[in-house]
Amino acid sequence: MTTTMDRRALLTRAALGATGLVAASAMGSLAPEAAFAADQPFAVAGQPDPNFAEGLITGRNKDLLQVQGSDGRLHKIQLTGVTSIWKLRPTTIDEARIGDGLYARGVKLPDGVLAAESVWLNIVNLDVMVNSIGRSSLNLDHHGQKVVGHVQPGITAAVYNGTPAVSDLTLLKVGRHVQVIGAWRPGTNEIDIATIYAAG
Amino acid sequence: MAWQQLAAAQPLLIGLILLWSASGKLIGPDVAEQAKKTALPRLVGEQRAAPVYRTVGGIEVVLALALLLPPVSILKPLAAAALFVGFTGYLIYAKLVVPEASCGCTGAAAKPVGYRAIARASLLLATSLATLTTTEGWWSAGPATLALLLEAAAYVVLSAELDRYWLLPLRRLRVRLSHPLAGAKSTGTPLAATQRRLMHSPAYRAVTGLLRSDIRDYWDDEDWRYVSYTAKYDGRPATAVFAVPHTGDAVRVAVVDDDSGQTLYRPVALPA
Repeated sequence: MTTTMDRRALLTRAALGATGLVAASAMGSLAPEAAFAADQPFAVAGQPDPNFAEGLITGRNKDLLQVQGSDGRLHKIQLTGVTSIWKLRPTTIDEARIGDGLYARGVKLPDGVLAAESVWLNIVNLDVMVNSIGRSSLNLDHHGQKVVGHVQPGITAAVYNGTPAVSDLTLLKVGRHVQVIGAWRPGTNEIDIATIYAAG
Repeated sequence: MAWQQLAAAQPLLIGLILLWSASGKLIGPDVAEQAKKTALPRLVGEQRAAPVYRTVGGIEVVLALALLLPPVSILKPLAAAALFVGFTGYLIYAKLVVPEASCGCTGAAAKPVGYRAIARASLLLATSLATLTTTEGWWSAGPATLALLLEAAAYVVLSAELDRYWLLPLRRLRVRLSHPLAGAKSTGTPLAATQRRLMHSPAYRAVTGLLRSDIRDYWDDEDWRYVSYTAKYDGRPATAVFAVPHTGDAVRVAVVDDDSGQTLYRPVALPA
C-alpha cells in the first residue's frame, strides 16, 4: 500500500511538472534484442489476433491465469504489475478470480503465454429496456431475459444524450431503451453498472 | 343460480380471448418468424413449426366462433378444456426444456414463458371447466356477464404482453412522483466523465501512441484527478500520468520511467 502511495505521489509531481525532465537516451541505450523483443506480431487476416484472448478463467497460479476461450482454445495469461485490470473500475490484479469472464490484450511471448497489458473482467455491454427502477438497482429486460442492474454509489454514472457522465440517475425512465456497460456477477443474471447511456 | 349464470357467461370471455390469441398467430407478415421463436421447432421440428403454429390459430378461431355462437353444447367447452390442457402442458414443457423460447401464446409479443403465462392458461382451463356445469348460453347470463370484467382484469394482469399498457405507465408515474434513485447521487466526478475529458484533450493526443494499457490507476488530490496508463517510451517501460483538473485548466501529462522514476517526456505548449 505504501508503495502505491509513494508511486502516486511521484506520478502526481511528474504530472504537474514539479520534476525535471530526463532524456530516455541518457539512461543508457537498450540492447537491440531487448528493444525488438517487445515488438508485437501483427494479426493475420482470417486468423485469430495473437495479441488478444477472451474466455473464462479456469485456473490461477500466482499471476498466471488459465483461460478457456469460448471457441475452445486455451490461453495462458500472465498478469504483471503494469497490467491494467478493469473490474467495474480500474483495480488490482488480485481481483482476477476463477470463474470470471475475461478479455485480455497484450504481447504474445515466444512460449505462447500472453503477457497482458490490459485485462477486462466480466465486462458486458448490453442493449436493454428499463423494466422498473428500485432504490439501488434497475430491473432490465435484455431481449426477454431479465437482468438486474445494481447501482454502485460513487461508480455508476449516466451519460444522457452523449453529454459528460454524471452520477445523477434520476433522468432514467421506465420503458426506455438504454445501453449499459457493466460487470457481470458470474453465475447470476445480475450486473453492476459502470455506465448507462440513455436519452435524457 | 348465480353460479349457473356465472358459468354460462364464461364462453363469451373464452371466445373473445381465443379470437385475440388467434389473430396474432394468423395475421401479420412475420408469423413464420414468430413460430421459430417458440418452443415448437423443438417439439415438432423446424419445418413443421410454422404450419403447426397457424393450425393452432385456426383451431382457436373455430373454437372461439363455436363458443360465441349458438347452440349450447357440452362438447364446445369440453373441446376448449382439452385445448387449454394442451396449452398448459406445452407451456410447462417449454419452461422446462426451452426456457429461452417465446411463449407464442398471444402472437405478436415475444415474451419468454413465465409463471404468469402458465397461471393464465390454467385460469382459462378452470373457466372452461366451469362452463361444463351449465346448459345456458352466455347471452342468457344477465348481470353475471359483468363478472367477466373482473376475470378479464385478472387475464390482463397475467399477460406479460400487456404490461406495457398498464404496468409500465404505473411504474413511470411512480418514478415521476419520487425517483427511487434520487438518493444514489454522489458528489465525486464519475471516472467515465474524467476519461472522456481526457480522451478529447491535446495531452492525450500527444502521447496516445505511447500508451499500452487501459486505465491502470486513478486518484484524486486537491483540485486534480490523476489517471495513469502503462506506456512505452523509446523502448523503455514507463507510466503515462495525466492530471485532469476538476474545473478550468487544461489536462496535463507526463511520461515517467518505471525503473528510475524520472520524467522522460512532458509535452509543453499544447494547443488549448
